[in-house]
Amino acid sequence: MTSVNKEQDARELRPLTPIQRAQTREFIRELEHECQTYWDMVDVGDTLCRELHLTPELIILYSDGVEDFNPWYEAWRMNSWQIEGESPFGGAIVPPLLVSHFILSVQFDHTKPFAIGSIHTYHDSKIVAPIKVGATVRITTRAIEKFEKRGRRYVRHEAEVIDVNNGALYFQETRDILSL
Amino acid sequence: MAPDQTLRINASTPIGTELEPIKKRALIQLMGSRLWGRFNPNHWDPEYALSTGLSAPIQTGEMNSAYITEMCVNHFGEHLFQNARIVCKYIASTLADEIITTHGIVTEKETVGEGCRIKVDVWCDNELGEKKTVGWVEVTLPN
Repeated sequence: MTSVNKEQDARELRPLTPIQRAQTREFIRELEHECQTYWDMVDVGDTLCRELHLTPELIILYSDGVEDFNPWYEAWRMNSWQIEGESPFGGAIVPPLLVSHFILSVQFDHTKPFAIGSIHTYHDSKIVAPIKVGATVRITTRAIEKFEKRGRRYVRHEAEVIDVNNGALYFQETRDILSL
Repeated sequence: MAPDQTLRINASTPIGTELEPIKKRALIQLMGSRLWGRFNPNHWDPEYALSTGLSAPIQTGEMNSAYITEMCVNHFGEHLFQNARIVCKYIASTLADEIITTHGIVTEKETVGEGCRIKVDVWCDNELGEKKTVGWVEVTLPN
């Protein structure tokens, strides 16, 4: 396949009219604002935390993105809207790795432009206890190591997720990001 | 649909048992949804991906972890939500439109105070059998 054909095939994955293309290019220009790499943003020992309300809508946005339609995660259903839901733990619960997905928004200063091009490469996640949909959790991250391997730069963090109301520990994780 | 109870792994499941795979296409519209990859155009914009040397947008590795987790919930049910461990390493990029299949095989069993700790090697690959994500999962099951 020629490179021209390959490019054409790739573009067909997301067909766009001229106005959609212009809007896309504008959105990407905004993302490309000058930013520091994660490597430069983080010092070992940096500790950050944020709170996240795990609303029913947030849970189904996550689940729909990976086409996971397990009813245990449903505290929102079309036509009924917000419902209690059902799971082996009573009401609806959040998918096992959902909170892991939000750690990235905590471990780097989210008020600064996002560094496009960094890659999540590894996670070691401990699921301690189920989280009920509707809970508010506090995600705390701590940079524990910066290292280079085969010419690439990595930032390693530890993270912990607890319930804001009762302090219950839900989740712990060690994760690596490959920085630009 | 509630998880199929017939898939459940229990303390007497033998080592070598394979988990029932699940299959997903890496759909660019899902890869670029707001909650997933919208913050990085390499996850959803072909033109941008080409400009950075990729042949197509790449899926976030965490989507593969979510697929693996879905497979594990099918087999371990509520036990995956307490005192479980999931380790994943993203060894190759998943390109838009690839079909990803999850795999798992029971590799270890150990008696622990409250039951049996089971270890499962897990991975994802594409239609060509190229591995994208590898790792393992540990769950404690009651005797």
